[in-house]
Amino acid sequence: MRFLIVDDSSTMRRIIINTLNKLGHQDVAEAGNGKEGLDRLNAGPVDLIITDWNMPEMSGIDFIRTVRSMPEIKDTPVLMVTTNAAKDDIVEALKAGVNSYVVKPFTPDTMKEKIEAVLAR
Amino acid sequence: MPPAPAIESLFIDELTAATRDVFKKMVFQEVEGSSPIAGEARRPKANVVGQVAFAGKTSGVVAFYSTMDAAQIITASMLGIEMKNINGELPDAIGELTNMIAGSFRTRVAHAKGEMWAISVPTVTIGSDFYTRYVSDVQRVLCPFRMKNKAELFVELIVTRSAGQ
Repeated sequence: MRFLIVDDSSTMRRIIINTLNKLGHQDVAEAGNGKEGLDRLNAGPVDLIITDWNMPEMSGIDFIRTVRSMPEIKDTPVLMVTTNAAKDDIVEALKAGVNSYVVKPFTPDTMKEKIEAVLAR
Repeated sequence: MPPAPAIESLFIDELTAATRDVFKKMVFQEVEGSSPIAGEARRPKANVVGQVAFAGKTSGVVAFYSTMDAAQIITASMLGIEMKNINGELPDAIGELTNMIAGSFRTRVAHAKGEMWAISVPTVTIGSDFYTRYVSDVQRVLCPFRMKNKAELFVELIVTRSAGQ
């Protein structure tokens, strides 16, 4: 399986990669914002996108809306990882096309459960 | 212009809870808090300062202060690496830590008071013998914490003023 992590924080990308590695997944692409994320997707599809919300150049929400508008990748599962946890934020993310949502800070077990649940759909 | 209002205890409680939660879940260690210090009675000695601004009905800054040694311990723990292998990751790790503390604080206040704030991207300053001053009229409260190795950390809430005041 191939994963794409989109986050402007290299620390957060590393933390998520650590979790994916523990789940046995090694094939992980990284991007620092939504625009870079689209470039990575243009190079080839992935099985799961894990994205932050607040990023420079292109936010996670704009990135997901764009992904959902692209026929060849529109059904790719998306997990959003963000500190934006107010009810209105979650509603906006779901409307944009997010499949599941992890609020920072999170435990490794929470991240693991969310990844497994999205992949099981 | 009248002085900024005193910081309400709910904000201090939620900031303290947010800090504990971030350390427990992302740094994998509990931090022990002590009594918050209002105003500028104590200035933390720190080589590493992370800051995130917030704006809404209430506006201000959440600042994180630590020594370089403590920041290295935090960075290594967050990334799951040994301290000797840290190679430039410290500023981003402390920025992300501050971002999570401020973001969690924002969410907690939204739930408690219904206030919605925008928050900035984090900034991190690393150096020595510097002091952060705010030009506008502000209220400050400094929340001290200790890590397992007794290293002291501080999280400060700086509130400018609320809309309409």
